[in-house]
Amino acid sequence: MILFRQVEKHYGNFHVLKDINLQIEQGEVVVVVGPSGSGKSTMLRCINRLETITSGELTVNNITVNDKKTEINKLRRDIGMVFQHFNLYPHKKVIDNITLAPIKVLGLTKQEAEKTAMYYLEKVGIGEKADQYPAQLSGGQQQRVAIARGLAMKPQVMLFDEPTSALDPEMVGEVLDVMKTLANEGMTMVVVTHEMGFAREVADRVVFMDKGHIIEEATPAEFFSNPREERARLFLNRVLNH
Amino acid sequence: MPDFSILIEYFDVYMEGFINTIYSSIIALIGSFVLGTLIAIFRISSIKPLRWAGTVYVEFIRNIPLLLVVFVFFYGLPSLGITLSGFVCGTIGLTVYTATFIAEAIRAGIMSVPKGQTEAAQSSGLTYVQTMRYVVLPQALKIVIPPLSNQFINLVKNTSVLGVIAGLDLMYFGDQVASKTYATFDTYIFVALFYLVMTLPLSYMALHLERRLAKNG
Repeated sequence: MILFRQVEKHYGNFHVLKDINLQIEQGEVVVVVGPSGSGKSTMLRCINRLETITSGELTVNNITVNDKKTEINKLRRDIGMVFQHFNLYPHKKVIDNITLAPIKVLGLTKQEAEKTAMYYLEKVGIGEKADQYPAQLSGGQQQRVAIARGLAMKPQVMLFDEPTSALDPEMVGEVLDVMKTLANEGMTMVVVTHEMGFAREVADRVVFMDKGHIIEEATPAEFFSNPREERARLFLNRVLNH
Repeated sequence: MPDFSILIEYFDVYMEGFINTIYSSIIALIGSFVLGTLIAIFRISSIKPLRWAGTVYVEFIRNIPLLLVVFVFFYGLPSLGITLSGFVCGTIGLTVYTATFIAEAIRAGIMSVPKGQTEAAQSSGLTYVQTMRYVVLPQALKIVIPPLSNQFINLVKNTSVLGVIAGLDLMYFGDQVASKTYATFDTYIFVALFYLVMTLPLSYMALHLERRLAKNG
């Protein structure tokens, strides 16, 4: 469903992604881990072209993401994204945050969109917050709204860019629980995170990145108990023993 | 005490100028807002020639005295065979001039909206125009209301340049009254009062808006 082939990316002189080869199948939950600055988020953001690749091939559903002929807005409908800092629209109520794209992009009526929005708000456990503004919600609630906003477009894949990194520790769990439910329901997910517990429990596959390379790809069981690469071993030592 | 008999005797004259000044202000206000927004969008565009055009416009017009901008239309257009009244030339000049300040205020407002807002909107499939219209501009407008209200108050006062080119505004008729009464000082005190009738409510509204926005965060 998502295919990286020999993808490279440069920011000026800085070589961010180096020879990235990765295939993600429908229904798979792939968790990307690695030290800060290893290129995880950049790789994720290439999938919906928030970042452009310098060379190589990147396709989503066999559509080339960086082709000039690709209607990027059409492609993006099918790719939901959840950000580290939620990025809810502060001037819109929770419900309007969720219905904006379904109304404007998919052409749903307001009633249809609100019905869908309420369904997903209930699903993430905060139906009662529909008429509030984002600033009135806690971080965990805001991130759940952001997930509902992504889901309301009925995407084929959801991208999560460090969804719990900006949260107070006591709110991490509520967001991870929502993500686990999604994973169990068969949503295709690509998750960049530092939550090793989540990776171990939910991932079908763990991708370890360092300095722009994919160093190791393995099932969580293999990766956490017996990492093949030295750098992965060092990383795990650092994040697990503190 | 100024001589109120001047105000009473020439009230109709003052009022004609007052009304024309209001007309000119409203037309220039709407015009400069539309033009300013457009230029602001040019200036942040990813298309180089648009950005370049926006920058040239802003840097040239705002660094020339307003009076000269108005002269360009009043004395320059006739040489191209177009003759427009002082009122029209003055209002156009004012619009063109004020638009530069509004463009800068709006540009600063747009730039202050976090990048994540655009990314969230675009990643959900909204087009560039939709992203601007539904996500970025509404947030930017909130930020630019205080600087914009300043510009609008300046705009009302700046309509006084119409007086120089027979623009039939408050200042123009004030000059007329002064030349008839010879009571120059008293005449212009009333002119000033008429300007205050327009600008003080605007000032008050700006303050009120600012407070309300501050409350809503």
